[in-house]
Amino acid sequence: MNYKFIKSSEKRKILAGLEEQYGITDLPYLLIETGKKRLRAFSGSLSKEEISDLAQLTNIELIGMYLISRKDNDLRLNFDAISLLRNQITKNIVGINKDQFELWIRGHDLEIETQRGIVIISFENELVGIGKSNAEKIFNYLPKERRIKTALPADSQFRTNKTHEDL
Amino acid sequence: MTKNPRYQMKPLFEQRMQTLLPEKKDFDNFSKIIHQGPENFIRCNTIKISPEKLLEKLESKWQVKQPFPKFPEILLVTSDLKPGELGNALEHLLGYYYIQEISSMMSVLALDPQPDEFVLDICASPGSKTTQAAAKMQNKGTIIANDLKLDRIKILSTNLERCGVTNTITTRNDAISLCSSLKKSNFRKFDRILLDAPCSGEGTLRSSPKTLLMWNQKVIKKLSRQQKKFIAFAFKCLKEGGTLVYSTCTHAPEENEEVVSFALENFPVKIETLSLPLKCREGISQWKEKKFHKDVEKTCRIYPQDNNSEGFFVSKFKLVEEIA
Repeated sequence: MNYKFIKSSEKRKILAGLEEQYGITDLPYLLIETGKKRLRAFSGSLSKEEISDLAQLTNIELIGMYLISRKDNDLRLNFDAISLLRNQITKNIVGINKDQFELWIRGHDLEIETQRGIVIISFENELVGIGKSNAEKIFNYLPKERRIKTALPADSQFRTNKTHEDL
Repeated sequence: MTKNPRYQMKPLFEQRMQTLLPEKKDFDNFSKIIHQGPENFIRCNTIKISPEKLLEKLESKWQVKQPFPKFPEILLVTSDLKPGELGNALEHLLGYYYIQEISSMMSVLALDPQPDEFVLDICASPGSKTTQAAAKMQNKGTIIANDLKLDRIKILSTNLERCGVTNTITTRNDAISLCSSLKKSNFRKFDRILLDAPCSGEGTLRSSPKTLLMWNQKVIKKLSRQQKKFIAFAFKCLKEGGTLVYSTCTHAPEENEEVVSFALENFPVKIETLSLPLKCREGISQWKEKKFHKDVEKTCRIYPQDNNSEGFFVSKFKLVEEIA
């Protein structure tokens, strides 16, 4: 595993970006950058030196949890990081209704007019994912393996005979 | 419930279980319950939500009980569920709970890991016990979660991420080479080690009835040899006074008491009495011609007919003197 510990000066910049985008002000983790500009969060008690020693002795696959990916100027929170940090997220939240939620959780994009950029989707006081808006539509970034595979509920206004891809 | 004839016990397995359960009624109860699906236990992931808040959310759609007041994180869904309903619920997708059979929760309850401790989970995938340990440790300390194969590591990592586990380093190594290289390099020794060993799975018949078809005595002997090697190497990276929990999901004495007896006879360890919220039967003192160390009676055999659970085996060791 290729990894790099994020220095405190860089962490401060990241935190400033997270505050601007999401309102997150506290990140009590050791941040580690792995491939594809992914940042992982480690809350464990091993020091950086001990982690490096361990990497010499064993085959480390992952350290901590995937938290953020850096893409262009965006800091994109991982789906699971959203629920971990949900108490701190206060900005760029878009609320959806039940019908929209049923589409969202199955991986569909949502026809919602909102500000451009990365948005957090909220449904009934739960943060249920992240998407990117082009002002007219929110593109769904819910990981495929976390989408619900069942058909839309019988009472959904979006239920048709079309396949998911047609919608 | 009608029995599926393809999944009947093989004669040798039946004979072995009759030896373990000599009372006819007891064996009949065992034979009956293994053909019934398991109960729907879930474990609240206290890293993300409290049991009270989760209960409040789940009670709007299901009937949910908290059967063990001392362990409020253990929940039982008693409503009739559609296939996949537990796994497709929003609360599951958000990592608020882990679908875990009650008997499999016993290993970590026995291990009792504490925040700030250094813990090794040697055969960690799919992660039910690692996530349970991380929650007990409040995402503090460090867990090394190891498994052998990449596909198993992927499942493990998905579950760790879903549950918001941040105190874990996931490694892909053969258990023996992992312990051996940590020992050789004098790396920090572990406070607690969980060895939930690969086993023949006789205890999982209710959720995996196909185990009955695949059951094979040769495999048990092979696994027993492997388990002894694993436990021998695991003790080498445990600190003095440290705890090792050895567990399996099988009833086979070769994989349970025989391994425990081997450990007691060859290493400076003592076995600890367990206090678990399920009915435990003492470990057996003899199997065929083999007599085991007298302390194996302190191990815990969990039978499905005693607890309406799957079958399981748990033992807990304390290392009296560090192994040089």
